Order: sequence, then structure tokens, then C-alpha cells
Amino acid sequence: MTRKKVKLAYIEDLSSRKATFRKRKAGLMKKMYEISTLCGVDACAIIYSPFNNEPQVWPSNEGVQDVLSKFEELCEIDQSKQKLNQDSFLRQRIRKTDEQLKKQIRLNREKELSQIMYRLLSGEILHNLSIDDVNDLQTKMVRFRKDITMRIHSLEEAEGHPINGN
Amino acid sequence: MARKPSLGRRKIKIAKIENKNHLQVTFSKRKSGLFKKASELCTLCGVEAAFVVFSPAEKAFSFGHPDVDSVVNRFLSRDVPPQTTNGALQLVEARRNANVRELNMQLTQLLNQLEAEKKRGEALEEAMKAGQSERWWEAPIEELSVKQLEQLHASLQELRKNVGKQAERLMIESAMASPYMPVNEVTGFAGNNPYELLVTGFGGHAHGHGNGLF
Repeated sequence: MTRKKVKLAYIEDLSSRKATFRKRKAGLMKKMYEISTLCGVDACAIIYSPFNNEPQVWPSNEGVQDVLSKFEELCEIDQSKQKLNQDSFLRQRIRKTDEQLKKQIRLNREKELSQIMYRLLSGEILHNLSIDDVNDLQTKMVRFRKDITMRIHSLEEAEGHPINGN
Repeated sequence: MARKPSLGRRKIKIAKIENKNHLQVTFSKRKSGLFKKASELCTLCGVEAAFVVFSPAEKAFSFGHPDVDSVVNRFLSRDVPPQTTNGALQLVEARRNANVRELNMQLTQLLNQLEAEKKRGEALEEAMKAGQSERWWEAPIEELSVKQLEQLHASLQELRKNVGKQAERLMIESAMASPYMPVNEVTGFAGNNPYELLVTGFGGHAHGHGNGLF
């Protein structure tokens, strides 16, 4: 397990690249074994590298051929539905990461607005609030007030009668 | 501290998983991780490879660089090993590699942004927790009593009016772009502090302040 973050780009230095290949290949083969065993599924891997004459395979040459036969038995459509290359795979990952990012930004905005609201409630004077901040704040307060009212009603219902009118 | 929804890292035995749902979830996650590692291997080390995995429902998933078919054909000796001296092929490969480089850079940037936002989220969460322990009205509404809720409701109503006035002012001021008036100041209240009741804490029935909202 590395402690440093590795840049997602071709490793120029030969010995570094070779070492990385050796370690990651081993890790990948292990993961192939694990997923195959844990989930009881067929799988195979073929890796060509300039460091070895023969392709590196999992589970074995025969095993790969068996899985490939099964794979090729499928019609073209079934195969290619999930047949990815670097381009399609990376685009998929980019899309998913972007979704996660948008979601996190949205969550953070909510928390930020809560903070602003609570500070104002405490009597703080806030400078530098943008028009967006103020508008979003109003929206949030409307929703918050509704939630409070609903909560009060549900508590009163639980009691069976409205709690001391005034 | 509240229990996280999933248990995170646990040491598991490498044997077929009994529970069908657990098996499916594990398959999804591990397949995703596997292809991610495969993509990284191909990028970092510049190697050609293909990976095929069948799902528990016998659907085929594959990843390959430059593509699954060419690697499979090469393995089954159907194609001759790539002629890297072919000029046209070299150009195609160079262009493809440049494209992958671009995509990896884009992905890296997004991942960095995501990490930054997550850190920001954690900091905001910390501030929230700290605030909750100091001021009762910052606690989740499920923890408040009816009286506290009513008080909070009233204060919010007051605040909303003030913010509404300020919002109008901001809209007018930014439209006029007056150099004399500060555009960006929003006060939580105007004049005396109607939120004093919050500062002094909860005590008795705090009615009849300000404009008698009830």
C-alpha cells in the first residue's frame, strides 16, 4: 500500500515503471482471484508487457481460453454492452465523479446556509453576504419554519391535545 | 458518536459468499475497483491488457486497452503481433494515447476537487457540532421541546422579515450601484435585539415581545 499519491500518467522512469508494474500486476491478479472466489463467477485476465515475453494471465492459459469461449459464445450485443476501453471507462468515471462532486457541493451549501442562519439568529451582524446567500437563506428559513411547525403538530398529536395555547 | 451505516473495512474469508444480496453488492463494488486498477495499470505502465468478468447473473463485463477484442485476438493468435513500425497505426495510437492522457487529467482534477469539498464538508460538520453544544437552538429539531420550537419559530419569523427587507434593499442598491451605501451588509436585526431571549436562554413563556407574533 502506497502512502504517496501517484499521478495518473505514464511513468517515464524505466525502473520505477517496472517496479510499479510488478507490484500492481500482482495486486490485480489477487483481486481477480478474490472476486472470482467470493462471488463464484468466471473471470480472466490477459496482460502484455515489455517486461515479459509471454502474456501474464489469470487463472491460467487453459482457464483464460475457457472464459474467452464463454465470452465469445455471447452475441455481439451482449458482449459490447459492457465492453469498455480506456476512453469509455474514463468517461464513465468522470461522469460519476462529477455527480459525486455536485452532490457534495450541494450538501456543503446547505451546511453553510445553516451556519449563516444560526449566526444571524445569535444576533451577529454579517457583512459580505451575496444576493445569492440572502435568497438561498430565505428559501431555507421558509423550509425550516415549515419543518418546525410540522414537528410541533406531531408532538401535540402525540400528547393527544394541543399543548398550552398561549 | 453515531454508528456509520456500513461497517467499513473488515477482514473476510476468501470463500463464496452465502448471502445473495451481500454477494451482489460485493460483486458490484469489486468489479468497479478491479477495472479502476486495471485502467491505472494500463495508464501508468503503458501495457496492453484485457479483463473479462461474468456477473452472478452471467452478464459479461470487460475492460481492455487498447480494446478488448484486439488483445483477445492477439492471445488466441488470430492476429499477428502489432506492427509498430506501421506509420498509420502509430498515428492512431498516438492520438488515442493523447486522448487518454487528457481524460486522466480531467479525472484527476475532479477527484482533487471532490477531496477538497469533502474536507470542507467535514470542517462545516465540526463547526455545526461545536455550535450545537453551545447553543440549544442549533440542535436538530427532534431534540427540542415544544416550547423551544415555538420560540425558535418566532425568532425565525422575525429574522425572515429583516432578511426580506435587506434582500429588497440589496436588489435596489445593486441596481442603483450607489457608491455611498454599503451593498453587502445584512444585519440579523434592526435596532434593538429581538433575539435577546435566545441569548439569555430559555426561561418561561417569552411572549409579547416586539410585534406580538402569536
